[in-house]
Amino acid sequence: MKKILMIGLAAASVIALSACSAGADTTAPAKSDALTPVTVGVIPIVDTAPIWLGKEKGFFSAEGLDLTVQVTTGGAAAVPGVVSGDYEFAFGNLVSVMVARDQGLDLRYVANGNSTAGSPDFGAVIVPGDSPIMSAADLAGKTVSVNNLQNIGDTTIRQIVEDDGGDSSGIQFVEVGFPDAEAAVENSQVDAAWILAPFLDSAVANGARVISYNFSAFDTNLDIAGYFANGDTISNDPDLVTKFQTAMNKSLEYAQANPDEVRQIVTTYTKMTADQLTDMVLPEFRVDFNVDAATKLGDAAVRFGTLSAAPDLGVMLP
Amino acid sequence: MSMKHLNGPALGAAGILLFLVTWEAIPRLGLVNERYLPPASLVMAKFFGYLFQPGFWGSVAHTMTAWTLGLAISIIAASVLGLLIGSSLFLRRATRSTIEFLRPIPSVALIPLAVLLFGLKIESSLLLIVYASFWQVLLQVLSGVADVDPVADNTARSYGLGRMARIRYVVWPTTLPYLITGIRLASAVALILAITAELVIGTPGLGQQIALTQSGGAVAEMYALIVATGLIGVLINTVVRLVEKRVLTWHTSVRGEATT
Repeated sequence: MKKILMIGLAAASVIALSACSAGADTTAPAKSDALTPVTVGVIPIVDTAPIWLGKEKGFFSAEGLDLTVQVTTGGAAAVPGVVSGDYEFAFGNLVSVMVARDQGLDLRYVANGNSTAGSPDFGAVIVPGDSPIMSAADLAGKTVSVNNLQNIGDTTIRQIVEDDGGDSSGIQFVEVGFPDAEAAVENSQVDAAWILAPFLDSAVANGARVISYNFSAFDTNLDIAGYFANGDTISNDPDLVTKFQTAMNKSLEYAQANPDEVRQIVTTYTKMTADQLTDMVLPEFRVDFNVDAATKLGDAAVRFGTLSAAPDLGVMLP
Repeated sequence: MSMKHLNGPALGAAGILLFLVTWEAIPRLGLVNERYLPPASLVMAKFFGYLFQPGFWGSVAHTMTAWTLGLAISIIAASVLGLLIGSSLFLRRATRSTIEFLRPIPSVALIPLAVLLFGLKIESSLLLIVYASFWQVLLQVLSGVADVDPVADNTARSYGLGRMARIRYVVWPTTLPYLITGIRLASAVALILAITAELVIGTPGLGQQIALTQSGGAVAEMYALIVATGLIGVLINTVVRLVEKRVLTWHTSVRGEATT
């Protein structure tokens, strides 16, 4: 059985490698007066509003880029998409990229994506209104849902439980998607749920109670996600990377300065309605990564067993 | 009027009506929270709203393109290989264990491979669709070829019919009903996999729209799209049934059905 597994793994890695090299061949830069095509894989959530807004405002075409924003629903396609060269860039959270790097993939951020808004925030741990859980420390020994295990949700939640004096080792994390998390809490399938906007807003409106805004409680300057590329793209096509960075940073600044336009653009690429968005807490959009918060996140991920070693942020961040 | 005299369509309509009434009642009575299962009336209103949106029809076109291509590739490949393998004892024996090993692998298990090879392009959907529906057709064709009456085959041989002629006049007519059954099974499976690929991988189509409505908290719209996929399934089955009747008018199974 083990042997079969090994052969399977070997075959899978060969395919993965061939996909990598095939991808590298096809990303040759087009040198002409025409716009350079660039494809970016993003998940259709509020967090990625700046890139849609920047495209609409022409920040990318001003840099000579013909931007295609490719929606990846499950997030399953973002990392493989960048590794195989389907996308030059993709949107992903810091722990996902740390994990990918930990497994030997050379992914590096080229631009920041979104950061915690503070308190209130766009993500929180919620419990039913009548739950005995009153503080983060009370989560010890309870069942908590996150959208993905071994990722930014459970890492930050474990840390805030520890910070609050609780024992995080007894927390049982289960995977429940954000759209289903409210129902899971309401039907007592889990004791608490990690949930993001717009589901956070509807849950609170229907009686759920916020225990902690886990991003800002973890670190008030925490960057959550950003736009990353393959190491090959960064070394082979620095010109493309610089152009994308310039346009992306301009988009982040514009989005931060114009929250109403952010709310408007979100209705164009998600199924959220303007009503849902009026009171929604937006993430902060800023250009520079906060290295201290990212270091803290990497250390926490190592301590809780998600990473084998602390990430080399000097390489990972732009 | 007794139940016996209700004809098929009327009975079918009554069934659908009963289903819709039950669906309407469950959230209205509070058995299930309305936020998670909106009543049928609300969902159907959203559904009819979709019918006037070009974006919806674009998604339908994406899904149906993947379905058509995937099914066509499976049918052609499985028919050719099935006739080839089935008509040779050596090939049958040589491939049996391989087929029995590959066939039960769930197509969805190939999703990581599809993503890695093709990303979000239609080829990802096609890989899953073809893998799932190919076996359905191949197994039917193999059984069909195995079902050829040896007396008929020997008669054809003794009349000096060559290999191609025997396939055309002896094997093909026997296999055709099996093939059609395979196609009917495969057409349903192909739709399931087309939607799955779009839902999980995010290739464009109705499945991707379902995922989008889900991640946007647009629950009624999500159910409306699910209703749409169900109707497409019904439509596909109806069409395949019609084709079956047309192609197999001479076959006893269809003739028998027609007389009742």
